Amino acid sequence: MTALRAALEVISLVAFGYFTALSAIYLVFTALAWRAVRRYRRARSYSAVEEAFASPLTPPVSVLLPAFNEEAGIVESVRSLLGLRYPEFEVIVVNDGSLDRTLARLAEAFDLVPARKALRTILPCARVRATYASRRHPELWVIDKENGGKPDALNCGIGAARYPYFCAVDADAMLEEDALLRVAKPILDDPGLVAAAGGIVRIANGCRVEHGRVTEVRLPRSRLAVFQVVEYFRAFLVGRIGWSGMRSLLIISGAFGLFRRNLVEAVGGYARGTVGEDVELVLRLHRYLRERGEAYRIEFVPDPVAWTEAPEDVATLSRQRRRWQRGLGEALWLHRRVAFNPRYGLLGTLAVPYFLVFELVGPVVELVGYPAVVASAALGTLSVKFFAAFFVTAILVGVFLSISALLLEEYNFRRYGDDGDAARMVAAAIGENLGYRQLVTVWRVLGLVDLARRRRGWGEMRRQGLGYTPAGGASKGR
Amino acid sequence: MSVAMATNGTPLVLVADDDPDILTLVGFRLERAGYEVLPARDGEEALALALERQPDLAILDVMMPKLDGYEVTQRLRDDPATSGMPVILLTARVQEADITRGFEAGADDYIKKPFSPQELRARVQAILGRR
Amino acid sequence: MTLDAVVWTALVLTAAGSLSVYLLAVRRLYLMRSDRRYSAGGERLATLAAALAAGDLEPANDPAQAELELLAELLARYSRQLTGEARSNIAAFFERHGLIARELAHLGHRRPWRRARAAFLLGDMCSQQAVEPLLRALDDPSRDVRSAAARSLGRLGSGRAVEPLVRALVEQRVPRAVGGHALLTLGSEALGPLRPLILDTEAVVRATAVELVGLLGDANDAGLLTDRLRDSAAEVRAKAARALGRLGAEEATMALREALGDRIGFVRANAAIALGLVGDRASAPALLEMARSDEFDPAHAAARALSRLYPELLWSAARDSTSGPHLAEAADLTAVAR
Repeated sequence: MTALRAALEVISLVAFGYFTALSAIYLVFTALAWRAVRRYRRARSYSAVEEAFASPLTPPVSVLLPAFNEEAGIVESVRSLLGLRYPEFEVIVVNDGSLDRTLARLAEAFDLVPARKALRTILPCARVRATYASRRHPELWVIDKENGGKPDALNCGIGAARYPYFCAVDADAMLEEDALLRVAKPILDDPGLVAAAGGIVRIANGCRVEHGRVTEVRLPRSRLAVFQVVEYFRAFLVGRIGWSGMRSLLIISGAFGLFRRNLVEAVGGYARGTVGEDVELVLRLHRYLRERGEAYRIEFVPDPVAWTEAPEDVATLSRQRRRWQRGLGEALWLHRRVAFNPRYGLLGTLAVPYFLVFELVGPVVELVGYPAVVASAALGTLSVKFFAAFFVTAILVGVFLSISALLLEEYNFRRYGDDGDAARMVAAAIGENLGYRQLVTVWRVLGLVDLARRRRGWGEMRRQGLGYTPAGGASKGR
Repeated sequence: MSVAMATNGTPLVLVADDDPDILTLVGFRLERAGYEVLPARDGEEALALALERQPDLAILDVMMPKLDGYEVTQRLRDDPATSGMPVILLTARVQEADITRGFEAGADDYIKKPFSPQELRARVQAILGRR
Repeated sequence: MTLDAVVWTALVLTAAGSLSVYLLAVRRLYLMRSDRRYSAGGERLATLAAALAAGDLEPANDPAQAELELLAELLARYSRQLTGEARSNIAAFFERHGLIARELAHLGHRRPWRRARAAFLLGDMCSQQAVEPLLRALDDPSRDVRSAAARSLGRLGSGRAVEPLVRALVEQRVPRAVGGHALLTLGSEALGPLRPLILDTEAVVRATAVELVGLLGDANDAGLLTDRLRDSAAEVRAKAARALGRLGAEEATMALREALGDRIGFVRANAAIALGLVGDRASAPALLEMARSDEFDPAHAAARALSRLYPELLWSAARDSTSGPHLAEAADLTAVAR
């Protein structure tokens, strides 16, 4: 019995320590994010977007859209991409062996005709069956290849890309009109230095969409989706901005990221057969550049928006989160040498260790910690009063962090105009700490179990028309 | 001057742009010059209005939601009812390829954004006067 | 950790959370009101602003102070869409109401973002009074201020800005895209100070100058640019080829054909594109060979150039199955375009 008590005590202490550290880190990040977002918002009032749009000096970009079983939304997505405000760009759709009518839909909508295309073979990818050009849009190409997974499709797209930068976009993502110009801003400012830039992902559920554009921003009806809206504020506005400021951004969402093509080619492209290919690529770029001692930047830009659809049922959401966790685990495992290695600067001493301890292993600590603390209190090792006070405080920290992320959004972007929506977001910011977050923790632990078992594949998608889109890797949320 | 007349005698000009500022500025200038102005906010609306109201001239933005200016021009040309309607493209895209593409789609003229209202009026008068 | 500390933390968090929600609600209410006020007068003000820009209004008809800020905002926005006389009308409005003076004062503000915003706004206010202060702002310690100043100087279209802008660009005090674009808006006036830089000692400077002269210049610049096809820096050679293509410089044909044999792939690619633009049909056999056997980018460029120059030759070559992917792509594309 005493051994059990001792063990419980140790676990409880670890859990308390973990929790206190995590709260402190988040508070610091929230403060950093406020500063950075405010600076960014001010800078927006004097950023020359119109000039960049009209300038022949703005570097051209190849937009890559990998698609697998996307017949429901593919035409709208491509149309929204073709309507981007950007001086010179091409759109390359890679049909990754879809089993549905993705290709046929594209052919009808854009008047495609077979046209041979020269493809670079620097990066490996599955066999290309045919390539198509559009009679109506000279800047559109469609590549039909055998199925090989999203990273494989992206590699193929890179091989077809004509321009020095490429922008990877999820097939269900709807970019705002100026999104490409804004995400390219760091490159315009510092072309030699910037290796990659990522934008923000927001949830399109509930919004009014016309012709591939979000025309009115509204909250979704489903409570589960509203929780995710608030969760994304925390992840993007607080998390990414903080890391970007420390030059240690690990995640550029697979749904929307801009990269220098020759660099990605030099590091070998996307890792085939992984589910966390977006995190993995960014980590590899960091490593490559730091090992060569090159000065570089990988930046997060908080206002170019890609709107994507979030799962609204528990089963799909759980699969998505398990996959993200597994992807993060894969990527960190591949690059475990970076962790705690001062040679990689803040990336090695802070960012990667943080992700290892708090994002990867953290959910396990939480899951073991909760019952241990409860048991300690029940056995009297811990005063019940203290336990209760701590428990309440823990929830309050979560609530405070969610609300401050919401406030950050509200003060700087205010995308949600409806007052009822604002009230619902406040409710969700409080509510997500009473169950939703804990549920996510469980899924993330299951993701680790999957990783241990090396389960492969995407898991089946339940949403209509959506192929492997939620595979923004470990990326969209965390 | 043999200007094709709209129903009430003043020439009717369709102006399509998703930027309300442009609609205001172009609209104001043309109304002052004695034209009737028909505003449209996107390509589909522009096309529908062009077919329905048969304006004497269409001024189209290139980058519009739903249908872009090239596509609207092309469809106006393809439809016998509107194939003769003069089209001016109003565009911030001034790369050589963009301009060529506009003329290939069947535009009669293009005006670069930012634009001079005086010049715009002069070009409109020139085109309407020619016919 | 004591119980008291935990309880205090909880209390502080509750207070902070409640305060945040309160702030959020108050701000919403405030914004709702100002939105309503704005949309009520919106259309009338827009017409008023358009009339002001057109010079159709007497100064006596200027609006009351309350509406001044909204009107100023509209006019600043409109100025981005307008050139010519309308801009002088807008400038007169801003000068009349002391708004230029206000922003000029902000150019000396201690916070960089205030200075940057002032520098940006002055470009939209169209007043020539801002030129000198903005020229000084090109030396501001903050890059954002320098960048905004460069952008605004381009908008104001003053010839005096050309040389300082070129210098700022060359010394990399302003981003290339911004500084370059400002010079492009200033038009051919910028050519004078740019031309000598084609022979600068630094390769980056030569490359930038060559590119801009290619975008702004005319056939008279062909000679100077042709010499740069033999520059020691590949970047300069490539930009020179590109520029000659843009200018359609026929006298550069021989030198461009020679550049097809350059050691560096992207120079060859640019030379091929340029020959396509210049319209040199005699270089077709060389381009054909390049499209068949060169590295990816130059081969691709050569095939595209060929489709411009000599489609019949391209088609017959592409029928041969050993001609490679680039000729096939170019040939298929010409068929799609028809």
